[in-house]
Amino acid sequence: MPVIRLPSDIRPVLENGAPAVMVTCSADGKPNTTVISQVYYVDETHVALSFQFFSKTIRNVRENPRAYVCVFDMAGQAHWSLQLQFERSETEGPVFDTMDMQIEAIASMTGMSGIFKLRAADIYRVVSVERVQHPAWTPSE
Amino acid sequence: MIPGKLIRFLEQDANVAFAGSRDRDLVPFGHRVSGWRVGADHRTMTILFPDEFLARLVESLQQNRELAITVEAFPSHETYQFKGHYVNHRDVDDEDVEAADRLRRRWVKGNRMFSNTPEDVLNGFVSRPSLAVDVEVLEIYLQTPGPGAGTRLVPPMER
Repeated sequence: MPVIRLPSDIRPVLENGAPAVMVTCSADGKPNTTVISQVYYVDETHVALSFQFFSKTIRNVRENPRAYVCVFDMAGQAHWSLQLQFERSETEGPVFDTMDMQIEAIASMTGMSGIFKLRAADIYRVVSVERVQHPAWTPSE
Repeated sequence: MIPGKLIRFLEQDANVAFAGSRDRDLVPFGHRVSGWRVGADHRTMTILFPDEFLARLVESLQQNRELAITVEAFPSHETYQFKGHYVNHRDVDDEDVEAADRLRRRWVKGNRMFSNTPEDVLNGFVSRPSLAVDVEVLEIYLQTPGPGAGTRLVPPMER
């Protein structure tokens, strides 16, 4: 199995604070989409996603470990598509602690304090990564 | 049947959406949505996709019909997920493009009062649609962040 590495130019996008989107699929074949507040860079081959309260997503990745994440580079008018494979869940340690602090900061900035609470940092291996540029579309007004 | 409250949400408040599909091996894929239209029967939605998010979409839908769409109103974060079955697809028409343009104006308006992001950047976030997919909506879930997230609204959960 080839080792897929995250390119360095994805890191500012992961850290831009913009929400990302995650798609999972249950064992019986139903896709599920959800907005996630953070995709955390762990190392060149792994990211961590916050497990807060999206229980269907959590159930799905325990049944079927494949996941898709899209992160948006609004300034660059592009997006990154990541195919991921769930590996493990961490409820303590440096990745969890850093994500917990960042979640609290995001919650505070978006008026969601007290609603966002990190239950675990789910660690995923990167299966593929692709940057896609968006074509320009002239506004009507 | 999509409840009237949610039709108003879709037509007046919501300003961003993303769809999910999966292939025959249960590998999920994501597709940014440029807009949507609610069918006159209130049971179907037409989801509008831009070119850059079409990879594997039609092939997967023709294989297994499964599509999920999360629709959010930013900045309130009111969010619902619509799950259903693919019915058919076609090229977009002028009304579809106008629906996407309306959505883009709502997106820019919703963000302008909340962030310092330049307007041309906000405009660039919504791409021109190229494909319209009709979906029969079978289930609707509340996804607004909070303890009620994940509650099935349609059909209602048994108590």
